[in-house]
Amino acid sequence: MLDKPASALRLRERLLDSERLMEETGCYDGITELSLRNQDPLKFETLHTKLRAYCVSAREMARRISASPGVREVGEMVVAIYTPEGDAIALSNGIMVHVHTMSRFIKWMIKNNYEDNPRIREGDIFANNDAFIGTVQVPDVMDVVPIFHEGTLVGWAGAVCHELEAGGITPGGDVCLAQERFTEGLFVCAEKIGENDEIRRDYVIRCERNLRMPIYWVLDEKAKVASCIDMRESVKQLISEIGLDYWMKVSKEFIEEGRRAQLARTRQLTVPGIYRGHTFYGHVTAGKPGFQPLGDPDWLYNIPIEMEIGTDGKITMDFEGTQPWGYHSMNCTPAGMDGGMFVTLTQHMNFEGLVNDGAWMATELKLPHGTWTNPDNEMVATATSWALLLPAYGVFQRLLSRSFVARGYVEEAFVGQVNSPMIEMGGESQYGTPFGMAHFECAAAGSGALAIKDGLDTAYVGWNPESDMGNIEVWEQSMPMVYIGRSIVPNSGGAGKYRGGCSFISTWLINKTSHLRLHTSEHSSRVFDNGGMCGGYPAPTCQKHRAVRNSNIHELAAKGEPLAHAPGTDPHVSDYERNIGGDHVVVEGPYITAPHKQGDIFSHSYNGGGGYGDVLERDPVKTAWDVENGFLTREAADQVFGIVLKDDAEGYPVADVDATVKRRAAMRKERLARAIPVADWIAAERGRVEKADFAPEVRKMYASAIKLSPRFTKDFSDFWNVDARSIFTAGAKP
Amino acid sequence: MTSYSKEIIRDLASGQLPWPQTRRIMSAYKDDDRFFKMVAVHQDRVAWKDPILLPVSDHLFICQSGDERVTRCECGHSFGDYRKNWKLKAAIHVRNTEETLREIYPNSDLPDPAWMEIREFICPECGTLHEVEAAAPGYPIVHDFEPDLEGFYRDWLGKPLQP
Repeated sequence: MLDKPASALRLRERLLDSERLMEETGCYDGITELSLRNQDPLKFETLHTKLRAYCVSAREMARRISASPGVREVGEMVVAIYTPEGDAIALSNGIMVHVHTMSRFIKWMIKNNYEDNPRIREGDIFANNDAFIGTVQVPDVMDVVPIFHEGTLVGWAGAVCHELEAGGITPGGDVCLAQERFTEGLFVCAEKIGENDEIRRDYVIRCERNLRMPIYWVLDEKAKVASCIDMRESVKQLISEIGLDYWMKVSKEFIEEGRRAQLARTRQLTVPGIYRGHTFYGHVTAGKPGFQPLGDPDWLYNIPIEMEIGTDGKITMDFEGTQPWGYHSMNCTPAGMDGGMFVTLTQHMNFEGLVNDGAWMATELKLPHGTWTNPDNEMVATATSWALLLPAYGVFQRLLSRSFVARGYVEEAFVGQVNSPMIEMGGESQYGTPFGMAHFECAAAGSGALAIKDGLDTAYVGWNPESDMGNIEVWEQSMPMVYIGRSIVPNSGGAGKYRGGCSFISTWLINKTSHLRLHTSEHSSRVFDNGGMCGGYPAPTCQKHRAVRNSNIHELAAKGEPLAHAPGTDPHVSDYERNIGGDHVVVEGPYITAPHKQGDIFSHSYNGGGGYGDVLERDPVKTAWDVENGFLTREAADQVFGIVLKDDAEGYPVADVDATVKRRAAMRKERLARAIPVADWIAAERGRVEKADFAPEVRKMYASAIKLSPRFTKDFSDFWNVDARSIFTAGAKP
Repeated sequence: MTSYSKEIIRDLASGQLPWPQTRRIMSAYKDDDRFFKMVAVHQDRVAWKDPILLPVSDHLFICQSGDERVTRCECGHSFGDYRKNWKLKAAIHVRNTEETLREIYPNSDLPDPAWMEIREFICPECGTLHEVEAAAPGYPIVHDFEPDLEGFYRDWLGKPLQP
């Protein structure tokens, strides 16, 4: 009785029927008219607001159950309510990327006949963190429960938390050393983990025995289940008030309205046409311990994106020309790519509340088979897929922003998100116990600049719209390191008329442990993985890691000598090297080394955002304020922005506006004097292209893109007037 | 319907509007008459008379120039037919050495010039830096934007362009 779906059709048939109706009518579930909305718009809107309130309330309640600072402090959680077929009707704030990945999870269970086995019953709890079923990466663990009303399946409630420890080959959640699925950690593959509203004991035991820090995962499970039950009961109460027929119809109209609203918003805010952009990612692992020799250790990724906005308002994103999947943890599944699209759309176009899977249905992603966006091998690792996802969707934000500028909505233009290099750790805690954790202070990078103002400093990441670095004291409770510095990184925003938001850097003293493993991921140090816009420059590349082993910091402190709390502004010699004795280490790319111990020092820098507009138009007065407050250095103000600063009577920087005007006029002349016509540059560069006179990683990048993409091959060949295939593929220069 | 004066739109575009007012505009329902007001603001700013049809960057506009539609810099320099990539008619400065990259990133770690270069696309007349590409050596120059100008005016603005 309890398995019985609402209609005579089984769930699987109903899902296929819904997809067929969408195909035939172009409208979600064949809803060509919003009849309930037309009958009583106020009731319609009120109901959606109620559903949204259920979600927001359930998430806030659940965060108080969690033990994880990632969920409690930084809000790494989202919840949503779905139709029986698994389409999102309403969602909370939080990591909205997962609203659609959960949708994929529910549909996967339906299409795989879970109605028959293991059956879908009232009180069941299903969990998943398999990205090929529907999530982004292994630490994103999702729970869903079916909602039954008088024996009829009427929807689903779902919740996701990003776990701080996933039990992989390296500690933490973003398992940077995973090169195949089998080293990513504990997988839960669309599994029934509970019945009668209770999580199974054997599932909890599996978690406890396979994770370094099970308290985070297990209490997050309880938090998620509590939020799902809370939403379920609210929906059941609502159905008892409005009736089952009304619920079944209105819940689908909400989605169709969301689809139409997305199309209308695109027509309102953008300009139709074709937009193009690209970014890159440098994966540098040569010589690092632990990486198996399964592929080339260093790899340059190109991520070209072509976005088309049709006059119907549909947005299509095409990733053709990008790189193949590889034996590393940065691959992504279509679910993750969907998630990236969803979280970007919700932030940039759907900021008025009625957001659901309808918005996703008004878009299309073209993900070439065999690339990192759509691997043709389900054994690949995806544990750090954000490494490529974030730069990719940063491009999407810049493409959308170009359309906002063209349409005149300059206040919405935004140079985009940046990567969030992340620290994972494990070993022996300050309490002498085993531990593992991802440090989530990375949830507060600098944002790209806006078209009318500077970017946000230390306050934005694309993947968590409630960006927050968390309190130092909370992080210190959870790891055997204490902060000796957390400060703004000068010049970390890309230069421009409006500079990108600045990032911050933390410096820690390793404390009360003899074995602390520190690893980092999503760290593109060799190339820019972000960009500027309309003349703005990219933000700097990821900064190298700086550490001091066997430091003399305790002796220095005992003597009252000055310490170093940040690396300083000399790129060649850091303040650590100047002020602290010990074995100094500088590491490029992901940090994979021998364990640290008490007395060592470690620093980690986050990323700033790209700049907007010509640097020579930047406000001199604002720049003086930036220099005074540590967001820019005097060197940058002078040589990058052409701003002449003087000191006032108290030694604070003040802009000399007249001198700045003269200096900028001279810089503009210098600019013209050293620039050459693009046609001349192409003619000169063509010889280099013909000889493939590039670094091996650059040649490999072209060869891989050419192998996978006829369009990339043609575009490359047409641009340089060469035969790209003969230059870069078999038989050509190695 | 939300609507703002041309003066407010002008100040918004130039970054001069006080933040609390800007914030309210960001939070409010969008003003559907924005496009033509913004075009009028741009038109006031430029010294030339060709009607602006579409802004495409901070200082680049597609405009009607006699029988042609061209991409034009705010200074008046024409980059030719708007359907062609304006960058191909620009001046370029490429930063592909540590020394030239260091000029823009004086206090930071640098990318490897063997893997990545910065290309600055400059107006050959006034020296405005219109666009910056960060790309691997050998990567084709990107054609950033090919607007569907006719479709935009006809289907979205309801004011078809004269052929």
